[in-house]
Amino acid sequence: MPIHILPPDVANKIAAGEVVERPASVVKELVENALDAGATDIRVEIAKGGQSLIRVADNGCGIPADEVELAFQHHATSKVYDADDLFAIQTLGFRGEALPSIAAVSRVTVLTRPREQPAGVELRLEGGKVVARRTAAAPAGTIITVEDLFFNVPARRKFLRTVATETSLIAEIVSHYALAYPERRFTLIADGRTTLQTAGSGDLKDALLAVYGLDVARHMLMLEEPPDPETGIGLFGAIGGPALHRANRKYIIFFVNGRVVRSPMLTTAIAQAYQGVVPTGRHPFVVLDIQVPPDQIDVNVHPQKLEIKFARSDEVFRVVQRAVRRLLVEEAPVHQFSRTIEVLDDTDEASPSPAHLPPEPLDENDVRVRLFSPPPPTGHPTRTTWVPSAPPPAPTTPTPPPDVGGTKLPPLRVLGQTMLTYIICEGPDGLYLIDQHTAHERVLLERLRKQRARQAVPSQRLLQPLTIELTPQQMAVVEEQREALLHLGFDVEPFGGLTVLVRAIPEVLKHKPDPAAALAEVIDGAIHDRSGLSWEERLVMYAACRGAVKAGDPLTHEEMVDLIRQLEQTDLSRTCAHGRPTVVRLSVEQLEREFGRR
Amino acid sequence: MRVTCSQEHLARGLSIVGRAVATRTTLPVLSNVYIGTDDNRLKLVATNLEIGITAWVPAQVIEEGATTVPARLIEDLVKQSPAETIELEMSNANELGYHCASISATIRGIPAEEFPIIPTSETTEGDVVTLPADLLKEMISQVVFAAATDEMRPVLTGVLVKFEDDTLTMAAADGYRMSVRGASVGAAIASPVSVIVPARALSELARILPADTSVDVILAPTRNQILFHADDMDLVSQLIEGAFPDYRKIIPQTHKTRTVVDTGQLLQSVRRALIFARDAANIVRLRFEPGNGLEGRMVVSAQATEAGGNEEVLPAAIEGDAMEVAFNGRYLVDVLSVMHSAQTVIETQSSSHPGVFRPANEDTQFTHVIMPMHI
Repeated sequence: MPIHILPPDVANKIAAGEVVERPASVVKELVENALDAGATDIRVEIAKGGQSLIRVADNGCGIPADEVELAFQHHATSKVYDADDLFAIQTLGFRGEALPSIAAVSRVTVLTRPREQPAGVELRLEGGKVVARRTAAAPAGTIITVEDLFFNVPARRKFLRTVATETSLIAEIVSHYALAYPERRFTLIADGRTTLQTAGSGDLKDALLAVYGLDVARHMLMLEEPPDPETGIGLFGAIGGPALHRANRKYIIFFVNGRVVRSPMLTTAIAQAYQGVVPTGRHPFVVLDIQVPPDQIDVNVHPQKLEIKFARSDEVFRVVQRAVRRLLVEEAPVHQFSRTIEVLDDTDEASPSPAHLPPEPLDENDVRVRLFSPPPPTGHPTRTTWVPSAPPPAPTTPTPPPDVGGTKLPPLRVLGQTMLTYIICEGPDGLYLIDQHTAHERVLLERLRKQRARQAVPSQRLLQPLTIELTPQQMAVVEEQREALLHLGFDVEPFGGLTVLVRAIPEVLKHKPDPAAALAEVIDGAIHDRSGLSWEERLVMYAACRGAVKAGDPLTHEEMVDLIRQLEQTDLSRTCAHGRPTVVRLSVEQLEREFGRR
Repeated sequence: MRVTCSQEHLARGLSIVGRAVATRTTLPVLSNVYIGTDDNRLKLVATNLEIGITAWVPAQVIEEGATTVPARLIEDLVKQSPAETIELEMSNANELGYHCASISATIRGIPAEEFPIIPTSETTEGDVVTLPADLLKEMISQVVFAAATDEMRPVLTGVLVKFEDDTLTMAAADGYRMSVRGASVGAAIASPVSVIVPARALSELARILPADTSVDVILAPTRNQILFHADDMDLVSQLIEGAFPDYRKIIPQTHKTRTVVDTGQLLQSVRRALIFARDAANIVRLRFEPGNGLEGRMVVSAQATEAGGNEEVLPAAIEGDAMEVAFNGRYLVDVLSVMHSAQTVIETQSSSHPGVFRPANEDTQFTHVIMPMHI
């Protein structure tokens, strides 16, 4: 086939393919236009997952009657004048691609009227060609209706997912922008039902409440970092507390200057900040707008503008990671006792013994603890349910609250050990149950991290080097991470084949029965860990885990007192390195309520 | 069985064998003590199957016989009886009658046939080496603490006991430190023997051995046992099978710095340093600063990031290079406590080479090796 220039309709469809991938991308482009137009009320209406109808109505500046046709020309925009503007973009859109691309693959009706003009214009396009134009009465602003998306691109239509999936993707886009712009009012109507409505009050808490509901919103901590005078980097948003986590990263949302972006770099910063706060393999809730001077970013690197380049990405990484970590350390509330306490009737012979308690719950919300058994009059098990009061609104200034909300545990008095696993303590505000393994692990991790930061992890040399056989995978880690292992106190040397010679081990592992096997276990832990942290960090985590006392180890009173004393001095003493809770508190109020004293 | 004996003798005998009574056992007879006649003596035996202790008590045997009774019960009863003659009488196989002054008691027991047969010095054949009990006790005290306590490497929970020519050598190691103590035992042994004895057995032996006497060590390696006999008692122990690490290869042959320091002063300084080192992995640093003759200085220090730190300077005779080596302070306390010498010699090579500790009086062949810590 000879080479030839593509006819415009083909070229347009190709261009459209880059921008308009699915209904959600149309919504994204139109919402961004509405935001750029200064709208304060944005209504998105969809039908059949956006395939049959997408309508975005705003009260923005509108398009002057003589420019409406121009808006549907390629590379026509009001947002950029010259090439220099591209490097200091202040608007969400800038390429003049969205409207022509959308129009190329659908039937578009635009009804628009600038506030100062008496009448509006209605323009209809099909497959990118104008089919009707009339002057019409219209509210101030713009209403764009996109119907029969991909009517002329059957291939694309085939790749669309179910209506439910497309609807949820659209809802995600709208909710992200609702969170990014709490001062604007967003409404999403899907198939006639209002599924999302924000107040537009300007308070992020209200937007969080509308998007995620009360349960999530009340566990969110507000984060505000005014722009640094030197770097110009500022942060605004909300982050979830330790009790709030999900199985995927969908709830980690970043905006840069109000633009929704995906950024593995920022995700890593968050993962590091949350290390040890949420369980391994779980991900926190984060909504974060990063304010960066416009000349410090390049948004023109991705057709849908989903990715972004930072001129000073290290700086951004550090600011995000530190700010989030700091807030977590300051604000993380002690893991509260369950929301639901089952009160069992102890006259019931068949009541399960503690050994048959339900397996460890995956979510804090599901925790059920069977505690004690006041005999209910019916003789049947009863259940009382309550919802603990929401935590006090988080102050935005970084002053640690004076009571248990601080970084440290209050002074505790050890009462004893139960099930060879938990240490029972009395504190000023209730009864504390402490998991001996996670507590010790937390103490060791803290110590190892500090020591590693000073390059001073104590290591004990062995009288005779021990040899150990490794798997090929473990061996690869030994070879690649020898430096990291050495910093941790493992002096390891390949000894031919898959055998290594262990000359020294971290002091924390000294009392473990088989120090050489500990090496293999630490490496294995790090291999299978999916936290996304650096090798060094993971090795440290698993060394702490291996070095800690285990559940089932009997402890003397002195050992417990010593452990609690060390835990009290530890930052973030509430969760273990894998994010399981270390401390569970049964407050005085809870006890009083259970015993019917109030 | 019907015998009489003095309360003091019986109380002493029971307290000796009591060390071997099994505390947690599924075999009830093992928490009993065997009491039986043996010529004109009363023979007491207890065992936990790892070690067995036999003690003989002078007695008047009126009627032969044997039984077993709960060890704690009879020990407490005898201890709290007046210092008079005790009469033991078996009315039937399961009951022992006890009479002392106005006390009359019956103790239910388990027939003697169920008690394991514990070899004694009288029934065991093998090479016999005789040495002073005090020497053996000192040797044991200098090595047992270095043995490992966990069971992962069973060999290291034992003490190597080796006879070669006229020398007895004991060695113990736990993977981070090693003690070796040798002594001449006078008479040469026909062929070298080396066995591994559980450290616990030797600790018990050191506890029950009377002072100012001699001990026969009877090696019966073919029976996988070692037997110690002194005066009127025997201790027999199972041996640990396996190969003990070659202790000679572990002792460094060269050094760069040799320090002679007062044992008592150093021990006190290390104890004080440990107060600070408690939260810092017990790391105590020894800095050796050579000088002319006794002008050298040895600096003992510990640092804890949170608690602070301390430093003490001790006068010492130091030859060689200046250096600093970090050790686990507890290990230092362990070895200095059993140095039994006014001065200690410390030989070091570098901060990553083992430190060698010896008593300054050269008649004692005691060598202790500690692996350094790294920071």
